[in-house]
Amino acid sequence: MDLFLQTIINGVLIGGILICLTIGFQLTFGVLHVIDFAVGGWAMLGGYTAYWLVTLAGMDPFISIFPVFMLFALIGRGLGPLIYHVRTSRYARPDLMALAFTFGLFLLMRGGALWLWSYNTRSVESVFSGEFLSIGAVTIPLLRLSAFIMAALISLGLFILLYRSRFGMAVRALAQNREHAGLMGVDVKRVSSWVYGIYTGITASAGVLIATIYSVNPSVGVRYTLFAFFVAVLAGLGSVGGVLVAGLALGLLEAFVSTYIGARYSLLIVFGVLFLTLLVAPKGVLGRGI
Amino acid sequence: MAFESGQIRTLVTRLAAIVGGLVLLSLLPGFVDAYTLRIATGALMWAGLACAWNIVGGYAGYISFGHSAFFGIGAYTTAILMQSGIGAPFFVTLIPAIAVAVVVAVIIGGPTMRLRGAYFAIATWAFAEMLMQLVTVVDFTGGTAGLSLPAYLNEFFFYYTMLAATAASFLGVWYLIEHTRFGFRLKALRDHEPAAEAMGIRTNLVKVQSFALSAAITALFGSVYAYWTTFIDPHSVMGPEITDQMVVMALLGGLGTIWGPALGGVLLWVVNRYIWATFGDTVIYLPILGLIIALVVLFLPNGLISLLKGGSERGHELISRIIRKL
Repeated sequence: MDLFLQTIINGVLIGGILICLTIGFQLTFGVLHVIDFAVGGWAMLGGYTAYWLVTLAGMDPFISIFPVFMLFALIGRGLGPLIYHVRTSRYARPDLMALAFTFGLFLLMRGGALWLWSYNTRSVESVFSGEFLSIGAVTIPLLRLSAFIMAALISLGLFILLYRSRFGMAVRALAQNREHAGLMGVDVKRVSSWVYGIYTGITASAGVLIATIYSVNPSVGVRYTLFAFFVAVLAGLGSVGGVLVAGLALGLLEAFVSTYIGARYSLLIVFGVLFLTLLVAPKGVLGRGI
Repeated sequence: MAFESGQIRTLVTRLAAIVGGLVLLSLLPGFVDAYTLRIATGALMWAGLACAWNIVGGYAGYISFGHSAFFGIGAYTTAILMQSGIGAPFFVTLIPAIAVAVVVAVIIGGPTMRLRGAYFAIATWAFAEMLMQLVTVVDFTGGTAGLSLPAYLNEFFFYYTMLAATAASFLGVWYLIEHTRFGFRLKALRDHEPAAEAMGIRTNLVKVQSFALSAAITALFGSVYAYWTTFIDPHSVMGPEITDQMVVMALLGGLGTIWGPALGGVLLWVVNRYIWATFGDTVIYLPILGLIIALVVLFLPNGLISLLKGGSERGHELISRIIRKL
């Protein structure tokens, strides 16, 4: 029973971080209609940037989230117009060309990281590393708990931005109908580019949290792209609210698989559930995806 | 069917070009050393693989990011059946290799190709990652240690086998896509799926057929590759780099064209070998591939072949487009 409870807590804590990893990805799909293959790549680069900030500037990774967010938001804001250009171009299949474009970006990041930093795994130390909080028979690593709280704060911040600001209203209008939003005076290209910037910032921040809990090497991006896809498909592509349910579901699934079956089967089972979801409920658990 | 004289002339020219090209390619081993012959064999293989990917990616308009799975299925089926316990002859193993790939393609493609292209891309990619993990976990594939095949060190045999496989793939795809109803249906659904459906085309069936055809060709090359290299492990035949290369080669050469993937495949494989010979490894090749994809999507969406077709006019247009972008 204790093990069961412990597994649930582990699952929820990881689920919170997966939510943070996927929420920006969903927003990008909802607004730009682009599947960003590079989602794991942004997380990986965020982790590396935190590693450099911790090693060279002596920052705590939880502080380094702020400069990482700003840096990647600016990079994403710079790339946004290119993505928007590809997606709205008059190619035969602009959606697939945009997919291929982000696939290329991801390859560039993964290959570039391999080339520059080799296969070595780097771990990021925080003041919370190695501390535990014991409640009854259950122990909670303080690091995971604080990462969960940070992830929750970031996601909450995004929801406040979306539902309590003029900019958020423009973003939601764009997600509903691009042409009509444009007619109402929304600068479609500018808002879309900022959405891409917010997405890259949030995803890189999630990457910092992941790197602090586990570690970072050039190939982790693939794994987190897969997890982000899983959460997105389970939530229904483009549904930001569904991410909250689907992220927790994947976190719990992963925790239970690694506790009771073995961590090396986690990808197999994740794929099995992904495939079943595509078969049974392609619109996602809340039935609101596109 | 009655041909106009002009049509006959182009047909004869094309046939002459194809036959001439095949004769030149089959004479090649007489003129080059073993190292160059190996590179040529690899170039043939990648041209064929890019052609296979292009059936789904270029003609059906569904991007697959999981073709390494089919390459691996072919390689592992051949390797397992040629182990000393079973000892099947190489050419016999091609049949089960292709059959397994087709069955898997139907299972994966059947449900996911009904959905939008993005779901298909996600499902194929996730499937390839999963299969690679499965192969490292189970016993009969040798796990991470890989499998060895009976060594057959005859570069001429592999060159001609690869040439036959590549030529058969290109001619088969050329015939199927350009000269049969299947090809017309495929192009119709790529251009406008609801309209194709309204014309009475069973789009789901055609899509899955094209995916199965593509998977079968990919598995064929996987089988030949396994016998050629005599040693395989999960990463060498199922790694994401295989899919990456197929996508880039088809994209760079020109999606939805017959000869584009051949151009892209040969060109990039030569670049790959050049980098390997110069730097001793191919790590820098990955970011270069990524950069090429991004640049091709931005500036040359119809691939290199569009430069050849339109000649100088297209080239000027491209250059002025790039200047305008800057």
